[in-house]
Amino acid sequence: MALHRGRGIATIEYPTGMNQGGDPSQAWIKVKPDGHVDVFSGTVDVGQGSKTVHTQIAADMIGVPYDTVTMNNFDTDTSPVSFGTFASRGTFIDGNAIAVAAYRTRQRLLEVASRMMEVDPEDLEIADGDVAVLGAPERKVSVAEVAATASWTYGEMIVGSGAWMFPHVEPDKETGECEPHAAISYASCVADVEVDDETGEVRVTKLVQVYDVGRAINPTLVEGQIQGGAVMGLGLALLEESYPYYPELSHRGPEFGAYAAPGMADLPELKNVALEDPDPVGPFGAKAVGEMANNAQSPAIVAAIHDAVGVWVTELPARPERVLRALDESRQPRRDGRRVIYDEHLSVAVVSTAENRAEGTWRFPLVSE
Amino acid sequence: MKAVGASLPRYDGIDHVTARSRFVDDFSLPGMLWAKAFRSPVASARIVRLDTTRAEAMPGVHAVITHADVPTNVVGHQEVWGIAPDEPLLAEHEVRFVGQLIAVVAAETEAQALDAVQAIELELEERTPFLDVRNAWDAGRPQVTPDGNVFFYYPDQPQRQIRKGNVDEAFAAADVIVEGVYRPGAIEQAPAEPAAALAIPEPNGRVTIHSTSQALYYSMDITARHLRMPMGMLKFVGGTVGGGFGGKIDTKTEPITAVLALKTQRPVKWRHTREEEMLCSTTRAAWHVEIADAVTNDGWILGRKTLTLHDAGAYMMTSAYACSKHSFHLAGAYSIPAVSFNTFVVMTNHVPTAAMRGFGVTSASFAVETHMNRIAQVIGMDPWELRLKNANRVGDSSPSRVVYGNPSTVSTLLAAAEAADVVLPPDERAMTNAKREGALLPAHLVEQQREPVTHPLVWRDNRPALEGGV
Repeated sequence: MALHRGRGIATIEYPTGMNQGGDPSQAWIKVKPDGHVDVFSGTVDVGQGSKTVHTQIAADMIGVPYDTVTMNNFDTDTSPVSFGTFASRGTFIDGNAIAVAAYRTRQRLLEVASRMMEVDPEDLEIADGDVAVLGAPERKVSVAEVAATASWTYGEMIVGSGAWMFPHVEPDKETGECEPHAAISYASCVADVEVDDETGEVRVTKLVQVYDVGRAINPTLVEGQIQGGAVMGLGLALLEESYPYYPELSHRGPEFGAYAAPGMADLPELKNVALEDPDPVGPFGAKAVGEMANNAQSPAIVAAIHDAVGVWVTELPARPERVLRALDESRQPRRDGRRVIYDEHLSVAVVSTAENRAEGTWRFPLVSE
Repeated sequence: MKAVGASLPRYDGIDHVTARSRFVDDFSLPGMLWAKAFRSPVASARIVRLDTTRAEAMPGVHAVITHADVPTNVVGHQEVWGIAPDEPLLAEHEVRFVGQLIAVVAAETEAQALDAVQAIELELEERTPFLDVRNAWDAGRPQVTPDGNVFFYYPDQPQRQIRKGNVDEAFAAADVIVEGVYRPGAIEQAPAEPAAALAIPEPNGRVTIHSTSQALYYSMDITARHLRMPMGMLKFVGGTVGGGFGGKIDTKTEPITAVLALKTQRPVKWRHTREEEMLCSTTRAAWHVEIADAVTNDGWILGRKTLTLHDAGAYMMTSAYACSKHSFHLAGAYSIPAVSFNTFVVMTNHVPTAAMRGFGVTSASFAVETHMNRIAQVIGMDPWELRLKNANRVGDSSPSRVVYGNPSTVSTLLAAAEAADVVLPPDERAMTNAKREGALLPAHLVEQQREPVTHPLVWRDNRPALEGGV
């Protein structure tokens, strides 16, 4: 028995927002007479912290302290449309809707403050909960005073609404041509593994991960997405399977005790880096990190296994049995002239018994020379 | 600016860790009934007889619903995108997967509901299930749907296809053609909080539904279609969810409890058991991806052909969406001037598959990146160099001709090398995301270059510029 070390790399890209767009989000904001801000948006915080990020966006866009902003996403009677918390769209698309609503709320506060202070709104700025004259910061009124004056003196209301959508596109039937997403995020991953050539067990010892997130609205929550994604990617690469004998149906695990999700003992050393190359369309330059965070690990780990013991495992998860089988068979790609053919035994060309292998505009095997 | 960019504590963090946050299952009401499901024991069968009479007479039982109780039983998760609905909320004349919903009981306690479920009588005529996507075109295969086992995007074209450049020329010009097969498996979303719903009939005819949905308006739309009620007659309550990872887009507990609540005029709660969450709710799909790349000995990828078979499971759910998305990302983070991609939605008798983190692209990233590492092996090139050389750059275009305005493949690679203490040669370290030129702009990459487009809404000085008609 021997432990073999190996290293593998992967680079990925991932779209922000729903594929082909057409997924709107809306928000509205009101300011209470004491200056507290209520944000309404039909978003769902699935645990990733979207309420926190959306509150940060609203607070800075209006110019009030974070802890004076309340996020209301409790029901569809009070909150406007969010298409949903999926497709890595929460920070970007919901965030843009909230940012636009907050920008308009800010404009309303400036209008009212302008009347109170008899200063042109263009010459006013809001920061830290105060509306002050540009260049004369001692001349100021608080957002609370502005909101109170609007309510009790002018008999008016301070609200703002906003919406954002990347328009729906249809791909061309023949070529697929279309612009299907609002932005693209990028990541690279380096995996270090140890492979036991007797048991087939693979242990990931270290993951180095770099994500370009445009702008980290909340760096701790970005780190949380990257760490959580790493654990999920590990499960996908090495452990988890709904059908242990896929495609057969038997031996499905009905509980966590019979389904190998990663635990803390599986966690490798993590070194995570967030790059911030601002996106021109995302709120404060932010783009998505949520989903892509579990995509880069499995190819990096599979490459590291190859680096360690010289076999490719391309059916996931790369569980011990698959690693041992690959070692036993020490499969080599078939060479046929210029062609280098890996995994032939898994291909449609071998498994299918269909006689007519050409249908319309496609045919398999993929390359026939 | 103070909040943006700061690691502020989570808005609801203290409430979550002190168990004060309220999730759907924390709500109960006087007179509330509990729902339990009766499900298919087999993967494929014709329903010969279904009899709920005995169950209806059981102690504490207020209702047993079957497909006949659902105003619009068959609703699709992609109807907004023009995909025909195919999935019954409750099975009608057949079952297509183990765990498919057939009937649901509402009783005064969960135990009574479970007893009644066991009293439901079912007679099936079992059929051979269809399980291996690679046999989708074989003669004599079992049929999953009356329309066959392969979805058609267009009446005369089953696949989502992407075509760009001249693939035949690329393959003719290649020094080597590298082929491989990639099969990432099905896995569970496995959120900490199983799916649950509590439906409350209101005196004014409306229905309030506490939901674990990841998408309140989307699930409300699907529920309204099932109930044949305007969305305005429903009120969804939620927004705080114990993990979803894509699995809580599927909308089952909401319409079921709503039908039961309207029938019994009582609040009705249904919470999936962990077993139901693991065995009966959707999974991430298993995928079969074949790639053939036309490569030169000095590491240029001239062209790529792919064949993808997506195991949709027994009903469509969001598979057509996923396969389109998958297809747009089969070049990965690289500029490949000639591509021919074919992606098929294949129906099987597995549990329907649906969204999970990375939907449609996780499989593409695994296949593409493993293939890149193999190409590096075949031509004997360092995998960093192969990637940096082919990395998409400003002005390059994607398979669907999206022009990359600010790609960061090169910058994330260089940062990863630095963080992993990999010392790259100086010419590689000097690379940037900027437009290709010189040795990095060989003849085959000239034609795919485009002028970057500008978007209607952009941010300037940390403010949204509104003239785009927001």
